[in-house]
Amino acid sequence: MELFLQQVFNGIMLGSTYAMVALGLTLVFGILHVPNFAHGNLYMLGAYVTFFLISLYQFGFWAAVISSMVILGVVGMLVERFVYRPLIGQPHINMFISAIGLLILLENSVAVVWGTSAKRIPHPYPDTVHLLGITTTQQRLIVIVAAVIMIILLQLFIKKTIHGTTIEAVAQDREGAQLVGINVNWVSSMTFAISSAFAAAAASLMAPIFMITPTMGALLVMKAFVIIILGGLGSMQGAILGGYILGLVESLGGGFISAAYKDVFAFGALVLILAIKPTGLFGKESN
Amino acid sequence: MLKLRNVATNFGNSVIIRGVSLEIKKGDFVSLLGSNGAGKTTLFRTIAGILKPCQGTVEFKGRQTNRMSADKIVKLGLSLCPEGRHLFPQLSVHKNLMMGAYIRRRDHKGIKRSIGQVQELFPILKERKEQMAGTLSGGEQQMLAIARALMSDPELLLLDEPSIGLAPLIVKNIADKVKAINEMGTTIFLSEQNANMALKITGRGYVLESGSIIMEGPSNQLITDDVVRKAYLGA
Repeated sequence: MELFLQQVFNGIMLGSTYAMVALGLTLVFGILHVPNFAHGNLYMLGAYVTFFLISLYQFGFWAAVISSMVILGVVGMLVERFVYRPLIGQPHINMFISAIGLLILLENSVAVVWGTSAKRIPHPYPDTVHLLGITTTQQRLIVIVAAVIMIILLQLFIKKTIHGTTIEAVAQDREGAQLVGINVNWVSSMTFAISSAFAAAAASLMAPIFMITPTMGALLVMKAFVIIILGGLGSMQGAILGGYILGLVESLGGGFISAAYKDVFAFGALVLILAIKPTGLFGKESN
Repeated sequence: MLKLRNVATNFGNSVIIRGVSLEIKKGDFVSLLGSNGAGKTTLFRTIAGILKPCQGTVEFKGRQTNRMSADKIVKLGLSLCPEGRHLFPQLSVHKNLMMGAYIRRRDHKGIKRSIGQVQELFPILKERKEQMAGTLSGGEQQMLAIARALMSDPELLLLDEPSIGLAPLIVKNIADKVKAINEMGTTIFLSEQNANMALKITGRGYVLESGSIIMEGPSNQLITDDVVRKAYLGA
């Protein structure tokens, strides 16, 4: 029982970061209708920015996390402006190629500039906590709480504010959005900023727990795609729920069956869910 | 208020609109008649800034708008209720209206007043307030599209085929409401295949064929014109 709770807790922690990364990916997908393969590399870059702010410039943990979110938000806007926007109206394959090009560029630039060896952010909150019979670190608890707060804030922004609603409007009908006076380019820019900032936040929160490497985004972006397909493309609830499901599947499968196969469980869950419900959990029937 | 001089628009490699010149004055209620494929929608999309003309100029309230983006043109006071409606299907009726008022989002009082006005015009929208736009019937969606276009408080409203695919009774209802909107002071440019309906409510009309204006005049003259009667009124 204790092991089970421990694994559930770890699953929720993993799921929290997956949900944040998948939310960002699904937002951008909804706006552009092209998957941003480089999303995982923006996540990786976010972790490195946090690492260097802390180790080189002696930033405090939270100051570094927030600065990293801001920096990655700007990077996201630049990516939208210079990588994707020029390709709007062209065949989708062009955006696919650009996305993969950006992925390779980011990964290798980081490897060249900062090296390929793994780095670790010193634990800001190393103390252990005892909770409901399980033992964990404060950092892991913080990951969950911070992620949940950010996910709720994003939902409130999109559902309750006029600027947030423009994201949904553009995703649902781009031309309709232009016709009510929404600057679609500005909305794309804002969406990329939010998406990248979320990736940076997730990466920075996790960085004291796992090692950071230039390739850390590669597997993550695949998992994020699993999540948004699992949840139903373009659905925010789907991305959140899918993130937690994947985190739990990985953690329980890894803990009780075999840690070496934890990624197999993740992708196995995708195959299984899509076999039963091809549109994903929250997916709408295509028309 | 709106002036087009020698406007031509391409779509892909084909010319859809060629050499169109027309003028609409403040308070006018003008129809644009033409069969399917005549270029009515392309002309409207060009005026609204969704498409850019390859030749000629579009002038709205004395400002040249043919190079402006669609969202800036809306801010000048021109609103297009497009063919196919382009509503936000997974937003509620209320949120669709709020998005319609996006350009005046800080004017809370004005928005409230406008919502009251469009709900008075189309009472069904009040009943359906919290329903997703995508779940409305065709007629209700068309009413919502017109209402959303009005929410920006436009001086010129372009209506692209509001009667398309709707039952005659609903077409009649919408025609009455459009007339009422014009009488309240909004200038309207109405594109229609249903020439009978359009010529009954508008004051003046243009006839578009293969991308060119082939005829213009007061509606009551067009309705008796032999060419118009043969081609568009089934006489």
